[in-house]
Amino acid sequence: MKKVLALVLVLVLSLSVLTGCANKQKAVNSFDGKNVRVVIGSTSTTGDSYMIADMTMRYLAKQLNANTKVDAVGAGPAFEAISTAKPDGETIMMFHDMTYLGVLFGAFEEKYALENMIVGPRVGTNPGAAFGAKAAAPYANMKEMADYLKANPSEHVRVNIEAGGVSHIGFISYYEWVVNQYGQDVADRMDVIVGGSTSEKLQMLWDGNTDVIFADYSSLLQYTDPKVEDKLRVKFVALLDEIDGVDVPTFAELGVTLNGEPFSFSKDFIIYLPKDTPAEYIAELDKAAEAVAKDPAFIEEMAKQKYKAAFMPAAEAKAYITEKRDSLEALIKAAPSLDELTVK
Amino acid sequence: MNFMIEFGVIQLLVALLGVVIGIIFGALPGMTATMAIAIFLPLTYAYDLSTSLYLLLGLYVGGISGGLIPAILINIPGTPSSITTGFDGHPMAKRGEAVRALRIGITASLIGGLISLTVLAFFTPVLAKLAIQFSAVEKFLIILFAMTVIAALSRGNMTKGIFAGFLGVFISLMGVFPDNQKLRLIPSLLTTELRDGFQLLPVLIGLFAFSQMFSEAELGMRQMLMKDNVLLDGKETRKFSFKDFKGQIINLFRSGLIGTFIGVLPGVGGSAASLMSYSQCKAWSKHPEKLGTGEVEGLVASETANNGLTGGALVPLLSLGIPGDSTTAVLIGAFMLQGVQVGPLFITQNPDIWNTVLFGLLLSNILMFAVMFWPIKFLANIIKIPMSKLYPAVVLMSVVGAFSTRNGNMTDVVTLIVFGIVGYLFSKIGLPATTFLIGFILGRDLEKYFIDSLKGSGGDLSVFFSRPIGLGIWALIVGFLIYAFLDNRRAHREKLA
Repeated sequence: MKKVLALVLVLVLSLSVLTGCANKQKAVNSFDGKNVRVVIGSTSTTGDSYMIADMTMRYLAKQLNANTKVDAVGAGPAFEAISTAKPDGETIMMFHDMTYLGVLFGAFEEKYALENMIVGPRVGTNPGAAFGAKAAAPYANMKEMADYLKANPSEHVRVNIEAGGVSHIGFISYYEWVVNQYGQDVADRMDVIVGGSTSEKLQMLWDGNTDVIFADYSSLLQYTDPKVEDKLRVKFVALLDEIDGVDVPTFAELGVTLNGEPFSFSKDFIIYLPKDTPAEYIAELDKAAEAVAKDPAFIEEMAKQKYKAAFMPAAEAKAYITEKRDSLEALIKAAPSLDELTVK
Repeated sequence: MNFMIEFGVIQLLVALLGVVIGIIFGALPGMTATMAIAIFLPLTYAYDLSTSLYLLLGLYVGGISGGLIPAILINIPGTPSSITTGFDGHPMAKRGEAVRALRIGITASLIGGLISLTVLAFFTPVLAKLAIQFSAVEKFLIILFAMTVIAALSRGNMTKGIFAGFLGVFISLMGVFPDNQKLRLIPSLLTTELRDGFQLLPVLIGLFAFSQMFSEAELGMRQMLMKDNVLLDGKETRKFSFKDFKGQIINLFRSGLIGTFIGVLPGVGGSAASLMSYSQCKAWSKHPEKLGTGEVEGLVASETANNGLTGGALVPLLSLGIPGDSTTAVLIGAFMLQGVQVGPLFITQNPDIWNTVLFGLLLSNILMFAVMFWPIKFLANIIKIPMSKLYPAVVLMSVVGAFSTRNGNMTDVVTLIVFGIVGYLFSKIGLPATTFLIGFILGRDLEKYFIDSLKGSGGDLSVFFSRPIGLGIWALIVGFLIYAFLDNRRAHREKLA
């Protein structure tokens, strides 16, 4: 009996080794037939990072004939995975602007800079970054908020943002504008509170521990319904960029400028690959991503969540995101540090 | 408006599949209900929302319940919320009452699940209002209250117990500080590996499983976990009977409600529920000194509370759109993937889905009981396997579990081994690993809510004493600590006498 069992085990092992060899032979600089791990820089399975990666990968997997698995590992582990993974198409990353903002803000090491990975195609954007306040707040938008602070010199407004994220860049652009338009005293009375997930920010708002929060438009929308009880009701006070069919003033419409230009910001969702990944993979990804972005079902699914299908080939995406990073670098360097913004 | 529940053979089978897989995940050290739901989430595209909910609720209930199996049989909590299950469950198993302990745990789990389901069904709007009364201040105090279990568990050894608890809190703070993304308490050589600190599951398995194996290896592993002479003609000395629950009615309701209440509070982890329930059980027990030696009431308190959590955690999820625990934080994804928003208007706008959740939870609890109660006697034979044969399998499962904690990270395997050694050294110098672990589990939340409270108050510490609910929790904390210290003195006197 033992001999039979040993024989079966040997056969199973041999078969698995052979299968492995067969797979290896098949994998010639192509995603075809591969298991692809897609790491994202968030641990949440409800935020835009997961939702967009999940939607994209379901369509992209068919185009590439690959098995994709989205892994919500968080920013640090995702950057680490993409910098240490082999360039064999089995590990890729899909993430938004925090990829470079984290490094610019000093939250992540230089080894995770864009130069140390390959920028692949852009598949979509999320223009839905929004600031929200309690429905009963004495201002309707963020321009009125600055007016309110100017008119009430003893008042403070607490704004909840995330360190090194899109909300951080959104806030400091607004802060600089307030300094220029209303003076340092008004800007100093905007106290930053650093918070985590949308759920945590909402609880801070309801607890009275913050006055303004930053979150994805679609995640706050249900709380703006007039049927929601007063204590929980939220109103939008600004968007960072225009969203189709949404009547909420954007920063640009409120007059918020950066270096004299109207400020707007959408999150760009780009696929990143390990450094030294062969060009064949990028070309394959470009072709597949373009087809996905043209697929009406994908466009519709993205639009349902207020996201946009927006393809940009890898070469163009690299130039675009590098330029976007460089344009924000000066703003980040000139802005006060988080320590200064939180401790007054 | 549609109030009808979609239910048929497919839904029954899907729920059964969820429960069975959930139990397996819960029973394997290192695997949790959260992981099970995260893995199965993308598969729910194939189903409509209600069928998906049967699967995911089955995984949730099964995953929470399965943790009692390794906790009782081999003293390794399958999930963080079953730590206290092993305190009394494992001593019972060692004295030849494994099947009895498992069946008591399973029945207590069912009752805990049903209590929380009843609360979910009838009191959700009221509890949602209550949940938002609990700000960061009250949550900090609740976590502090849960930490009083450290004092309760340190009876007769208070200084070492509290020291180990503080050490656990300190170690839990290693890694990146989320508010400014800066690293702290990390040696510069390990900044990449320990950026997110030590992960709970490898620490837990290391402290319990690996350290125990090191200690047993020192003594020789020919024996079984259960000593040879405790069985009567190869059969258990005491069999399970529903009469075991005689005198446990108050304990059942108290523990079920504590579990539900902790579940209702977003961001207060599931482990706090069983810890708080266990410490309250000890405080109200007629013979607190016996808890930890294989008492039914300790086992009942732990298992009723951790299953009580399931319904409670769904209250803020479905009525506020805020997940009550890490598992429901993944569960919310199922609603979002199907385009349904959970939040303040969810119940009134989606009565059919709401009814499906209630029915799915009821069905999952009943299936969990049916699947576990009778077949468990076969699994209980694990305790009769010689340790020399059992432990290699446990090592294999533990390493796989640790490796999968973050989808394949060797740091977690190293963590497992390091904390195995730490646990072994603790046992040599008489430091309790349990209180260390409790400090480790609650440390990050304690810090988070402390800081959140100060952020809201602009750094004013009086905020901790300025709210009525907070003052009530302070009274409970002080009262329980006085009791624990007096009990400790009594233990000392008993030792001297």
